[in-house]
Amino acid sequence: MAEKLNRRLGLPIALLIVCLILPFFLSPLWIRITTEVLMWAALAQSWNIIGGYTGYLSFGHGAFFGLGAYVTGILMVHLGWPFGIGLLASGILAALLALVIGYPTLRLRGAYFAIATWAFGEMIRQIAIILEITGGAFGMQLPSYLNLPFFYYLMLGITALTYLTTHILLERARFGLKLLAIREQEEAAEMVGVDTVSIKMEAFALSAFFPGVIGGINAYWVTYIHPDSVLGAQLTDFMVVMAFLGGIGSLWGPFLGAVLVQLVQRVLWLVWGEGTFYLVIIGGAICAVVLFIPNGLIGLMEARIFSPREALGQWRKAIKW
Amino acid sequence: MELFLQTLIDGLLIGGLIIVVGIGFSLCFGVMHIVDFAVGEWVMVGAYTGFIFVKYFGHDPMTYLPIIFLIFCALGWLIYPLIYRAVSGKRHNPVLMGLVFTFGLSILAKGGALSVWGYHIQSISTWLSGKSLDVVVATVPALRFAGFVFGILVTLFFMLFLYKTKFGVIIRATAQDRDTASLLGVDVRRVGGLVYSLYAGMTGMSGILIGALFSIHAAMGAKYSTLAFFVVVLAGMGYVPGVIIAALVLGLLQSFVGVYIGGRYTLVALFMVMYGVLLITPKGILRRGI
Repeated sequence: MAEKLNRRLGLPIALLIVCLILPFFLSPLWIRITTEVLMWAALAQSWNIIGGYTGYLSFGHGAFFGLGAYVTGILMVHLGWPFGIGLLASGILAALLALVIGYPTLRLRGAYFAIATWAFGEMIRQIAIILEITGGAFGMQLPSYLNLPFFYYLMLGITALTYLTTHILLERARFGLKLLAIREQEEAAEMVGVDTVSIKMEAFALSAFFPGVIGGINAYWVTYIHPDSVLGAQLTDFMVVMAFLGGIGSLWGPFLGAVLVQLVQRVLWLVWGEGTFYLVIIGGAICAVVLFIPNGLIGLMEARIFSPREALGQWRKAIKW
Repeated sequence: MELFLQTLIDGLLIGGLIIVVGIGFSLCFGVMHIVDFAVGEWVMVGAYTGFIFVKYFGHDPMTYLPIIFLIFCALGWLIYPLIYRAVSGKRHNPVLMGLVFTFGLSILAKGGALSVWGYHIQSISTWLSGKSLDVVVATVPALRFAGFVFGILVTLFFMLFLYKTKFGVIIRATAQDRDTASLLGVDVRRVGGLVYSLYAGMTGMSGILIGALFSIHAAMGAKYSTLAFFVVVLAGMGYVPGVIIAALVLGLLQSFVGVYIGGRYTLVALFMVMYGVLLITPKGILRRGI
């Protein structure tokens, strides 16, 4: 089923049309929420490029988002550059940073790579707290521009671009096949002539470019950025969680995961107010997904049927010593 | 000179307590190849459990150390089958599954603690709180010293267990080569369960002392996860004796950077060293990791 989803263009086009006309029917609050959902869909998908397709778990991807936010902020506030150039610079700098740190870091594998990128991401956050130009722990105020539809369509544009890139480069082109080869068996891929070092670096840079741009958009949208809000661990965490819930290494998995997690989180927030109980639900959901549907929701759709009896049997097997 | 000695002693004392957090974590990775993202959350839950005991039953927090150890051993024993399932079977990326599963556990624990206790900062005090020992050149808070002694004692027992008993031999054999160990009749799954429950017990128990020394709040887990990761990376992942040296280095680094450069630079320094060590020598400073 996922295969079919990837081949057909009807669904993405229909989805795009719905998204294009959606703001005309929504209240400002729901436009904000939809913009957030789109942002997370794009972030989860860009994590998926390195984490899902290439099999290198980056636990420091929030750093690229934060870098983008701060670059846009600094260019606009301190240098007075226009927003568009700031965005471009954010994306390019994030990709460059990924290339620079990717060269030494991508030699590590598995848990080592995950811990190294995590340490790197936290390091960037601590540096942002110390530096003067970022406003330190007090954060940074950007010029405000109150135009919800503008940000909605901008976010929609970057999300569409992320999906288009993934669709073309990873599902259709040879580049995607090379990444899959690296994920499945890196030595074998190298044997048959895949230049693994540069391919991995390209994938890492590509997956960092989009968070950089999105970070820039987000900074201008929320107008106030702070090390904890744009570089916090929760950014990376949610990228991973969303991609994982939906199904990593698939085109539509991260989208599904992002829509589900962000909507549930926001609805719970609307119902219960400023609560933290949603964390319990999300944490439990992650554990359940790992135990029962390791291929994510997309994997569940592939299996087509879901029988309660089988699920119960699996649960019994899981808790049995 | 006095400042230097004081800093040195402070660093060593903190390092001694951190050994307990790092040592089980390291063994977990060595035996089961699981990186437990929830390590700080065990500390947090341990601290809160101590807090509840003190609140409802009174007495000194230190008296609850053995009970908490047993409770957390049992908890680890109960959770382990789930973790084992997450990293075995037909999964094509066990490392990812283990990371994500324990990550889910840590979100669950943190969310639960936040929902129950909110963002308030709690503290527990022991009969040693506020007292201090005067060594010739420096003043040592008695509680810190107790934490250090506790750390050294637990480490000593743990090392004796690991190197002098039959169980220890089995654990070390499994860590060296799972397949051969299981061919020789070792039930790898049960050994993993034993290691995980020991790890949970020790980490939970250290939570009380950490809570008494510093403070207890729902978001404290992240800090101790950071410290545990640092220690294990520096020691070489899976190399247990290295943890002792690495934890002392961590304590010294924290206190020297804090005193001589500035408190806000300690975390940057930690992450830089950690990232650098992983890039330069991924097997740890002693090059003995797996």
